[in-house]
Amino acid sequence: MAHFDTEYQRLEASYSDSPPGEENLLMHVPEGVKSQWHHIENLDLFFQRVYNLHQKNGFTCMLLGEIFELVQLLFVVGFTVFLANCVDYDVLFANKFVNHTDSSKVTLPDAFLPVDVCSARIRNNAFVIFVLIISGVFWLHRLFKFIYNVCCYWEIRSFYINALKMTMSELPYATWQEVQARIVEIQKEHQICIHKKELTELDIYHRILRFKNYMVAMVNKSLLPVRFRLPVLGEYVFYTRGLKYNFELIFFWGPGSLFENEWSLKQEYKRGGNRLELADRLASRILWIGIANLLLCPVILVWQILYAFFSYTEVIKREPGSLGARCWSLYGRCYLRHFNELDHELMSRLSKGYKAASKYMNCFLSPLLTVVAKNVAFFAGSLLAVLIALTIYDEDVLAVEHVLSSITLLGVCITICRSFIPDKHMVFCPEQLLRVILAHIHYMPDHWQGNAHRYETRDQFSQLFQYKAVFILEELLSPVVTPIILIFCLRRKSLEIIDFFRNFTVEVVGVGDTCSFAQMDIRQHGHPAWMSEGKTEASIYQQAEDGKTELSLMHFAITNPQWQPPRETTHFISQLKERVHREATGAPSDTHPMSLSESEPRSLIANLLTGPSTLASVHFDRDISLANHAAAGINDGGSALRSLSPISSSLHLRGSLSAAHRAAGHTSRTMAGSGTDARTVSSGSSAWEGQLTSLVLSEYASTEMSIHALYMHELHKQQSRGEMSRHTWHRQESDESSDSIPDEVRSEPIPHSRNFPRSHTFPTTVPSPSAIPTSASATSSTALGQERPTAQSSSQRHHSGPTTDPFGTGVKIVRSARVPMGGWAEDGQTAQRHHEPLPEESLEDEMPPHIHKVT
Amino acid sequence: MNCRSEVLEVTVEARQVEEAMLALLHTILLHRSTGKFHYKKEGTYSIGTVGTQDIDCDFIDFTFVRVSSEELDRMIRKAVSEFKDALSNSGSDGMGQISLEFYQKKKSRWPFSDECIPWEVWSIKVNVVNLANEQERQICREKVGEKLGEKVINVVEVINRHEYLPKMPTQSEVDNVFDTTLKDVQPYLYKITYQITDSLGTSVSTTMRRD
Repeated sequence: MAHFDTEYQRLEASYSDSPPGEENLLMHVPEGVKSQWHHIENLDLFFQRVYNLHQKNGFTCMLLGEIFELVQLLFVVGFTVFLANCVDYDVLFANKFVNHTDSSKVTLPDAFLPVDVCSARIRNNAFVIFVLIISGVFWLHRLFKFIYNVCCYWEIRSFYINALKMTMSELPYATWQEVQARIVEIQKEHQICIHKKELTELDIYHRILRFKNYMVAMVNKSLLPVRFRLPVLGEYVFYTRGLKYNFELIFFWGPGSLFENEWSLKQEYKRGGNRLELADRLASRILWIGIANLLLCPVILVWQILYAFFSYTEVIKREPGSLGARCWSLYGRCYLRHFNELDHELMSRLSKGYKAASKYMNCFLSPLLTVVAKNVAFFAGSLLAVLIALTIYDEDVLAVEHVLSSITLLGVCITICRSFIPDKHMVFCPEQLLRVILAHIHYMPDHWQGNAHRYETRDQFSQLFQYKAVFILEELLSPVVTPIILIFCLRRKSLEIIDFFRNFTVEVVGVGDTCSFAQMDIRQHGHPAWMSEGKTEASIYQQAEDGKTELSLMHFAITNPQWQPPRETTHFISQLKERVHREATGAPSDTHPMSLSESEPRSLIANLLTGPSTLASVHFDRDISLANHAAAGINDGGSALRSLSPISSSLHLRGSLSAAHRAAGHTSRTMAGSGTDARTVSSGSSAWEGQLTSLVLSEYASTEMSIHALYMHELHKQQSRGEMSRHTWHRQESDESSDSIPDEVRSEPIPHSRNFPRSHTFPTTVPSPSAIPTSASATSSTALGQERPTAQSSSQRHHSGPTTDPFGTGVKIVRSARVPMGGWAEDGQTAQRHHEPLPEESLEDEMPPHIHKVT
Repeated sequence: MNCRSEVLEVTVEARQVEEAMLALLHTILLHRSTGKFHYKKEGTYSIGTVGTQDIDCDFIDFTFVRVSSEELDRMIRKAVSEFKDALSNSGSDGMGQISLEFYQKKKSRWPFSDECIPWEVWSIKVNVVNLANEQERQICREKVGEKLGEKVINVVEVINRHEYLPKMPTQSEVDNVFDTTLKDVQPYLYKITYQITDSLGTSVSTTMRRD
């Protein structure tokens, strides 16, 4: 065939030689599993680990820390055994002479017993062997845990690096809020949680703090037996780590605990039907755990003593004053903790309050002790001076027996005495200090205010803020006391505990069973005396004490500005923020005739923002005339806030930062105005603006929270002044607290009937102290009532920022039953609030389980 | 926790238990099965065909559709009959729950074994009632049929929501997502468990069956 060189060429076959029909099949491309982070099974553990790794500053730090802990453990045991068995103390004390050939000096190795003698001594001592075996088992357990942890945290580390795109080196300098924002971000891509398209901040907090929220709620409702009336010591709070561990063991994760797994309460505990039977079962479990504690008591005791000895002796030797120092007690940390507050948030808050708190406690030096201490210090000082002078003259004095030790002892003695002698040049204002403390710790029983100078207040405060020495002592005693508390106190409460878990557990889709208090729902758990009057439907049994719900809500909303709360909650938050904001700017409240009642809290913030010159003019007069008192309190508050971290500078900083972010500035605003405004603006913007901003933001957030806390306490105080004072602090049994509350606190939801004496307690508006607040309460409450709508409407613009639908992702709560069983039955308007005898068993069976479904 | 759970509740007569369970389980599995995957060289795959067939119930006025796979049917039947036996052996008024759990496997690093992570659990709660006479049985027969119809619609509604499903796997990972042991159909990995509850509300026995 001739070869034609044309442009025409044979077409390539466009089909493969497959059997007919197959080319019509759809071809799919598998997506494969791109990331290993989708659909994580145990999100609770996962988030906890992510949080821990962040708190421990990255993988390496954590690894090193844990390794050293293991080594320390070995060292403690090994060194103790060595000291007890292998040292010839006669040589050390020079009671026995060592015959050296070349020199007369005694060396340390001379005091050691030879290895064979030593091991023989150990082998013959049954107790030592017992201790060694126990600690060996314990150590191995720790070792396995450590290895397991390393493997788990390695995963978390790669999660940080691959999914969150954060290296371990930058982790210590990233705030948790940043990490959290990234987690929320990647949920869209990886679907860590399969229930929802988007995670909220609250979901993450709920998972990390699931059990802690329960503990906080139980302390808040005085359910846990940590408060005792002792014959000599009076009222005493005993809450140690050992006790806490046992509580958690019983409720949350021990064998046969109330929880099935990390995220769900066992089904039978959700039903009211056989609560008595369940309570019996719980009681017997507590008994067994108590007995186990009793049996293990010697082992734990020995361990505690050894551990305390090795960790504290060095400190005491170095600075003997540290025993006189104070620390926040474990109970205090539980009492002061907000719902949904992470460890680091709590700690930073408490640390900020530390200085003021210890100053406050130092106000109360007993004059008797001071006199004694002064004289003891004088005599000890003169002896010490002589000894030191002699030593300087000829140092051979040191070689005389016991001279060195007496010098040391005298020194310690003087240091201790000095701590009892107040500084001459200090002036203390307890009321003001208590205000400063309140600005940081956010919770305080009502009757402290105005009684700050009293010894009882101090004693109660010392329950929250105890001596370090007492703390150590309590820890040492804990192994002995814990079983007693478990067996005799906690066991009796088993029915209440069962009821608590049933009534206060809600099932949230995508999160599991959480403490309903942690939902921070004003309607369900608000306290009418804490600004949620009219909004709350909670019975006495359901409402959180001390305004915990309201304050927690504010705290959470402020620390997590991205969070979009459900509708009613948003309303509450924005209303409060708006009020505080308006007070801060000091804007048109004077033109508003209705808002006279608001003028008083305004002065609070005005004080805070107008330099220390105002402060100088403030008298802290101690006489508690009703009119003056509130003003003094507020001024205290203002000065309290002034003495916080450098507020004004941080406000300035924020202001300038936000100005950089936004072209149009609110330059005409006052300082606080721009601060608050900037905050709301940047909270609306979805992107995080780099590390500096977020740090500043979190700093600012704590200040803002302080302002809100003070404001709410102030409002609360004024609101409850007309009423009988609520001694919530004294509630030994939860029932008692309900009895001490006057009826009008809760029974009428009508705002007009409230006692709201604010406007008349402010000295500038009503100068005559003769005005009795209760007489004019109706008018002022009307003023407040009418003012609300304006507050909401104007607040909307702050919250519906650039973000889309603020309520789209809100949770809807469908409640199947609101009848709390085993709590206090609510009898409408009647004042009967005692522990109702429960209905028949059969009746309870009919009742639907008290589970709120949150969808 | 990180899984959806759906609860269906039915009240049936003792002799209807088996068919009712089969109807519901098969309905769910019908929607959670695909044809066999045939992987091609370029990392793509084609999906084989799945036949369906109608099954008429003997004791209920009801017809349901199931995947026409004898093997799958045999497995489900075995699980259901175990459940039925346990239920009838428990005596008194039987209450029980059978759960169909879809899970995926996740490969883990050396010290840990592979995890089975459920992503959807269907729990069917069964109440067994005893009927006195034939007339009541007739009524029950119709009623249960209607109820099952509603449940099937329920199931379809749930499945039609666009919610999390494991991603389509590559060839090496197919065993982590799908049950590839059957030769004519390929359901998502599943297991069936059941428990019998006594009148007090505490579960008495939990037996597990893995497929």
